[in-house]
Amino acid sequence: MAGTLLPSPWIAYAAQVAEAVKIRNLWGDHGAFSDVAQSLNGKAVEMRGYMAPPLKPEIDFFVLTRIPMGVCPFCDTEASWPDDLVVVYIDQALQPVSFNDLITVTGQLELGTKTDEGTGFVSRIRLVQSRFTRV
Amino acid sequence: MTLLSHHRMIRFVSLAALCCASSLSARAEDATFVQGENPYYKSNKAQLDKVLAQVPNVKQAKNVILFVGDGYGVATMTAARIFEGQSRGVDGPSNKLAHESFPYSAISRTYAHDSLVTDSAPSAVAMTTGVKSNNNMLGLSGDAVWKDCEKSKGKEVTTIGEIAKSIGMSVGAVSTARITDATPAAVYAHSAHRSWENDAVLGDQAKAGCTDIANQLVTFKYGDGLDVMFGGGRQNFLPETMADPEYPDKKGLRKDGRDLTAEWLKRYSNSGAYAWNQEGFDKIDPKTVTHALALFERDNMQFEADRPKDKGGEPALADMATKAIDILSQNKEGYFLMVEGGRIDHGSHNNNAYRTLTDAVAMDKAVKAVLAKVNLDETLVIVTADHDHTLTITGYPDRDSNILGLVKERGKIALADDGKPYSIIGYGNGPGGKKDGAPRADLTNADVTDPDFVQQALVPLSSETHAGQDVAIFATGPWAHLFQGIVDENYTFLVIDYALKANERLAAHAKK
Repeated sequence: MAGTLLPSPWIAYAAQVAEAVKIRNLWGDHGAFSDVAQSLNGKAVEMRGYMAPPLKPEIDFFVLTRIPMGVCPFCDTEASWPDDLVVVYIDQALQPVSFNDLITVTGQLELGTKTDEGTGFVSRIRLVQSRFTRV
Repeated sequence: MTLLSHHRMIRFVSLAALCCASSLSARAEDATFVQGENPYYKSNKAQLDKVLAQVPNVKQAKNVILFVGDGYGVATMTAARIFEGQSRGVDGPSNKLAHESFPYSAISRTYAHDSLVTDSAPSAVAMTTGVKSNNNMLGLSGDAVWKDCEKSKGKEVTTIGEIAKSIGMSVGAVSTARITDATPAAVYAHSAHRSWENDAVLGDQAKAGCTDIANQLVTFKYGDGLDVMFGGGRQNFLPETMADPEYPDKKGLRKDGRDLTAEWLKRYSNSGAYAWNQEGFDKIDPKTVTHALALFERDNMQFEADRPKDKGGEPALADMATKAIDILSQNKEGYFLMVEGGRIDHGSHNNNAYRTLTDAVAMDKAVKAVLAKVNLDETLVIVTADHDHTLTITGYPDRDSNILGLVKERGKIALADDGKPYSIIGYGNGPGGKKDGAPRADLTNADVTDPDFVQQALVPLSSETHAGQDVAIFATGPWAHLFQGIVDENYTFLVIDYALKANERLAAHAKK
């Protein structure tokens, strides 16, 4: 019966209990996806992290990082993306929060290399149909 | 009455008064020293006996190993000592890191020629050349001009790497940061901007005759070139047309089309080696290789906490340091080796105390491994920092508190005046600071010991800054006793030079 009451894919996935997972636990040895990540692929997950400053205005995704994306003026000529980032696609217009506000994101975990059509940004792990709140 | 007899009279009266007073009362009580068996007293009595038995070593040093913990200030050393002890299940505050057993130490004043607070470029230059320079500059005096190749010409200062190679010694640098980053680059490079690590960043300044830092590494002209260079920074050595071996979807940064790793191998032919991962590193045979270059990451190497998951596999700082010694020690004329714990600094820039401390412990392991390998009778070992950070250890936490935890007093979580708990480690500034009047986060239910926890900071900044307070120098081996009192950071070079008689040997070499 419940299936008939859930017309959109988002509601369908949101009805699942999102399993909490830490970003750093998504990768195993030598850059491979971890067993945890593979077991959660396609499922609703919840993770905490920080929203890197959006690449451009009016964008439907942001980069979620374990720790805030800071640029050290002496160490780096530009921000270099960490290896273990998660790209978060959202359904509505992005309302950015500060890069150092801890957020909780829920979404559907998607593994595999994908290039964003609009920006060319390459990701290996994504959350789709996501929503986030400030902690 | 003469003046003399007057004095005699007073003395007589005084003695008489003393005589009568003592005859009227019992002998004054003497204190009894009761804490002779107290463990705090006993352990420090042993320390006193050790110091009393110390004999300065005044032999000429054959080798010098300079450990630089980037951003490894005294507060960070204290936190690392506690963290390392607690990680092993022993008492943290009374634990000892390897450098704490060194017999000699001094306080180092780190200010730059142009700044109260130094960055890693002039602070490393101070230690490798003996002069203070400006922030962002390498191998140049304070008269040089930032980002201006033309105006910086003729302002070069000679590095310990250049002197050592000129007198037949071997020279190495190992770092968990890019090998072209400021601290290791101060061993071999001259650059009016520390970011000129590859030709693409150098840009038009090349027209004035400057070359990028990676190029300076592979074409080093003194002696037979640099001997051991282990670290990160592969992107600065590979052309933009070449895919990276570890991350095939990414490429090098060089625009001149040169593959500097191939040039290294060509220059050193049979005695050269290049590696980019653990497997290649393991294959470097110290018996046959005299010139080894290893670049384990495109950018900085992994934090120690993340190293086990690295795609290509990376050695620990201790492994790099000991392998470097295996190679360098083949030279009977001795060697100079810099070992940099390069990412202690980066952890703090992120306000992430966990990675700061795990990298500090990795450097401590490197110090231990090196001490087990070298003969301190002929090798001067120095452990220091290039500058401090704003990390601080706060509150009145119970003795057995987890150093990464919240402040607890007598078992209860202590609350600040805003009614919220606070962590023992905090930062003066950085990404842990809230802006626009946002309230401080309530840590009541936060996992503050999580490896990814970002410590709170007072002033919001995307990257936490260095701090200007003095740092410490610890030394053991020949002429280590020259480190005493409070010294300028550049004094370290003078001790290294004196211990090796480096400049004296350079002058003699020039006459030959």
